[in-house]
Amino acid sequence: MATGRSLPFHFTPVDGPRQTEAGTNPHAKDTTFVPDTVEALQGRFGGAVLEVFLYAGEHTVYVDRSSVVDVCRFLKEELSYEYLADLGGIDLFTDEDRFEVFYNLVSFSAKKRIRLKIRVPEAEPVAPSITPVFAAANWNERECWDMFGIRFDGHPDLRRMYMPEDFEYHPLRKEFPLLGVPGSLPLPPQAPEAGLTLDPFAAAHGSKPVKSFQEARSDLADQ
Amino acid sequence: MSMISKENFSETLKFWPRHNEALYRRLESKNSWLEERRGPREKGDPDPLENEMVLNIGPQHPATHGVLRCAVRLDGETIERCAVDIGFLHRGIEKMAENKTYQEYMPYTDRMDYLAPYANNVGWCLAVEKAAGIEVPERAQWIRMLMSELSRITSHLIWMGVGLMDAGAVSVFLWTFRYREDLYTIFDHVCGARLTVSHSRIGGIASDIPDDAIDLIEAFVADFPDAIRGWEKLLNRNRIWIDRNVGVGVLSREEVIALGMTGPNLRGSGIPHDIRVFEPYLKYDEVDFTVPVREDGDCFSRYHVRMEEMKESLKIVRQCLEKLKTVRGPIRVDDAKRSYPSKDEVYYSMEGLIHDFMYTDTGVCPPRGIWSYHAVEAPKGELGFYIQSDGTGRPFRARINAPSFSNIQGLEALMEGALIGDMVMLIGTIDPVLGEADK
Repeated sequence: MATGRSLPFHFTPVDGPRQTEAGTNPHAKDTTFVPDTVEALQGRFGGAVLEVFLYAGEHTVYVDRSSVVDVCRFLKEELSYEYLADLGGIDLFTDEDRFEVFYNLVSFSAKKRIRLKIRVPEAEPVAPSITPVFAAANWNERECWDMFGIRFDGHPDLRRMYMPEDFEYHPLRKEFPLLGVPGSLPLPPQAPEAGLTLDPFAAAHGSKPVKSFQEARSDLADQ
Repeated sequence: MSMISKENFSETLKFWPRHNEALYRRLESKNSWLEERRGPREKGDPDPLENEMVLNIGPQHPATHGVLRCAVRLDGETIERCAVDIGFLHRGIEKMAENKTYQEYMPYTDRMDYLAPYANNVGWCLAVEKAAGIEVPERAQWIRMLMSELSRITSHLIWMGVGLMDAGAVSVFLWTFRYREDLYTIFDHVCGARLTVSHSRIGGIASDIPDDAIDLIEAFVADFPDAIRGWEKLLNRNRIWIDRNVGVGVLSREEVIALGMTGPNLRGSGIPHDIRVFEPYLKYDEVDFTVPVREDGDCFSRYHVRMEEMKESLKIVRQCLEKLKTVRGPIRVDDAKRSYPSKDEVYYSMEGLIHDFMYTDTGVCPPRGIWSYHAVEAPKGELGFYIQSDGTGRPFRARINAPSFSNIQGLEALMEGALIGDMVMLIGTIDPVLGEADK
């Protein structure tokens, strides 16, 4: 097609310095940059505020696990962060402080957004439930329990969110295999005389399906 | 296992027994499976049909808009308690994200909110671009914005058609599908696919918008306002539509905030929260539009909010079309570490081919140990992606904040105290998509 045309030629670019400062990220928003709130938290809770991170103009405040409910109540009642946008777990797969839970709070009036994080050890995967402060955390905490096995103390109804109660694993943990555990999730029988389908992904786990002509003739076929 | 007979029927098919037990325990129902398991009814026991009744609606009920299961405890016609069971469409897309490169994962986002896939693509790409600090060319931003607004209209068209069909008016469903078909033709011309568009790329978009698509969009923009006017003439003063909507499913300002609902459900209760204004992304700070808000908080105000949102989207689409005439230039970042090279480069230069391979194999690598969150205003509400990176080409953790999930949480509260006949209206009015809520 383009025989006589000169084609643009590009060298592989060298990685420049990464943008980590606030404001230099092209997608940084004013709403997530909240130094005032961080200062207020540090002034009020002191030692319970463990670390503060800033990336792409987003403040993340690590708080002590036991004081997260108080921090949330303070943010809601005194700094008008009245809306819980998101709550979720993270599996860091480290020896200590394996899990993290993050809270994404929004203030409509101040047009601000802040992220809180707590660290949860593997030996005792329990976090205090913030449902007394933010009722919206109900389903998110259930999801977090379902996916990571982090229990929430004081949650009114800690059932699994997506998986059935009969399921014994927590799928978003790093050690859970991508294809699932064979036999962990029985499905209804696929033929009248068959039992429960114990492995829905049998082929992926290496077992070959029985061809229909090799199967014994069904008694129901005569009826 | 022996053959299924009348005697062993329930034992054989009773898979996931603990799940149903937990659900019924949540309903606090006296007569359900739990009691059935305890043994036959004694003589003096009250007849359950006289006072309360447990009804399972879904997951295959057509009015549940997908695979939503609502177990409700009824007192006469009033819903006393509602337990919503979701997860029937759970595919573990957050787990899949951890095993895909950032670009490979983008088509999976089509399958979340499959009524507005373009908005999901854009949301994911913006989130990755924020984590990696990639700036997108201006023309790509305008095209993304244009297509996101069109996808908002398709989503609201489905909501309207299906919502009215729930209320008994089948003809509106066909009328809205005619315009939805027009929009899908536009998507076909722009993206090469009607539903699973996968058109956005990290660092830009896959291809520039062709001229015939521009003509189609212009024709649609000229045609559609008349259609909305006609529907409003039919519905705004329609006796049946008003009776079924006004005062039904009322949520106050405090309730929607407490329940964490997003999008039109939030704005229908008087809270002017819209991510396009709250934290403007793309070029939303350069276009002129208003955020429709209603104060009543019932189904009718949510209906008005969505109708007006379609008009506002048209306004934005017109401004985007105007801008696209003057804003020319590249549609993807010219940086092989951040975005795919153009096909010309791939086919006619060795460097380009290597870059293409490298981008498919490794792709963009945000810095090690960082995390960021980017939200867009999808048609259903705030769609946010939290990305945590370990410095490789795959997300260490990708968390999806799905608007339908937050909205369905409010459905339980909405249903309790309502009439069973209003159930379909209530599900329709919060406009859930289970592909998104179930992840």
